[in-house]
Amino acid sequence: MRFKSYYWILVFVGLVMGIILTMQFRVTQEITKSSPSLERTMALSQELEENRKDREKLKLQVYELRDRLDQAVTVPELGKLKEELDRVRGLAGMTDINGPGVKVTLNDSPNVPQPGQDPNIFVLHDEDLLILLNELKAAGANAIAINEHRIISTTEVRCIGPTILINKNQRISPPFIISALGNPDTLANSLKMKSGVLDLLQVYGIQADVKKMNEVTIPAYSGTLAFNHAKPKQ
Amino acid sequence: MTSKTTGYISIMLVALILGLMLAVQYRVVNRAPTVISTDRAKEIADEIKQIDRDREALHKEISDLIYKLEQVNQGKNEAINALHNELEKTRMAAGLLTVTGPGVEVILDNPGERKGSWLQSDVFIISAEDLLKVVNELWGGGAEATSINSQRIISTTEIRFAGPFLNINTVRVVPPYQILAVGDADALAGVLELPGGLAEFLRSLGIEVTVEKHQDLTVPAYTES
Repeated sequence: MRFKSYYWILVFVGLVMGIILTMQFRVTQEITKSSPSLERTMALSQELEENRKDREKLKLQVYELRDRLDQAVTVPELGKLKEELDRVRGLAGMTDINGPGVKVTLNDSPNVPQPGQDPNIFVLHDEDLLILLNELKAAGANAIAINEHRIISTTEVRCIGPTILINKNQRISPPFIISALGNPDTLANSLKMKSGVLDLLQVYGIQADVKKMNEVTIPAYSGTLAFNHAKPKQ
Repeated sequence: MTSKTTGYISIMLVALILGLMLAVQYRVVNRAPTVISTDRAKEIADEIKQIDRDREALHKEISDLIYKLEQVNQGKNEAINALHNELEKTRMAAGLLTVTGPGVEVILDNPGERKGSWLQSDVFIISAEDLLKVVNELWGGGAEATSINSQRIISTTEIRFAGPFLNINTVRVVPPYQILAVGDADALAGVLELPGGLAEFLRSLGIEVTVEKHQDLTVPAYTES
């Protein structure tokens, strides 16, 4: 009698095991079937890389043409017009600019997420950068750049996977170095304010470092000025 | 006695094999979706589309510049014209010109008094970050000019609480917030109304959000101080 109950338990365990295994097997098969093939993804990334390169080439061409246009209009009568163009270009973020300011370095948290913890809370998000940029603007920054990309009015900040895309899909990844032109004390203080942006980021362990600089260089915007929809109002 | 030990050994062997199989299966399942996720492929396709749009814009600017160069080489009057043209475009980019075009109008408003609710209405107040996110999303969708309550958003524009009021371009702004964006109306409305997108998120906070497409919108110029 004792032997028999022992066997029954074994049979039961074997049955359960068998069912679990077949289920697992099926799930695995479905996963491999439903995900796109690796080749297709790789082909797409290659295309992306090529498109990026082509874009860089086109940008260089635009620079060269702008320079040539500038040189072609050295007629004295055009001096005033040219001066105005240079001033507006400065406002639009299309010229290099340097002066005193701050340099902010941000890095993802060194904390390793514990099992069960959301790893997302230890990395920088587009929102964090948006708030930081907004704070610098509020403190009177005249010009800002992230990782050598100039921030202009139309600059968007978006998270895609572990990287951040700005200025029409220019990929930037940590560490983020933000340079801002303006009064170094005002800029630094506005960030370091009690329960300000940096305090908030430090809660998540994001490493932030603010340095006041006697001289920062903010590069010019490297994109186009094509308008497809907007027209000046007459 | 011997039959009992062989019985134990065989059970041990079966358990060992089962354990190994389970471990291998577990690993395979764990690895498969992270390496080739559908999301990743979609992200890449998305990026390619965006960069294509950017390249198209660059091509347009190149032909525009070549045309201006030709004009400049033709004579003085043409040169002045070409320069004026370039100046106007740059002023548009800097936000110094009032612009018109198709686009979207987004209105954000705090919910009205909740009758019988013990929650205070200022719990649901629209924050500066909400507006920042809406504007950011619009730029991402290809907006060419935006404004909030007739304050043009330029590169140095801040959106920030100063006391109980919101300051934009250091001008006090009060709700309802009317956000205008000139660009491809369908694309702009699309990025906001995406399932699980920003509009849905804001609505879930109790903020009243309306997104309306327009054939012709006017976004005011930034007033230089």
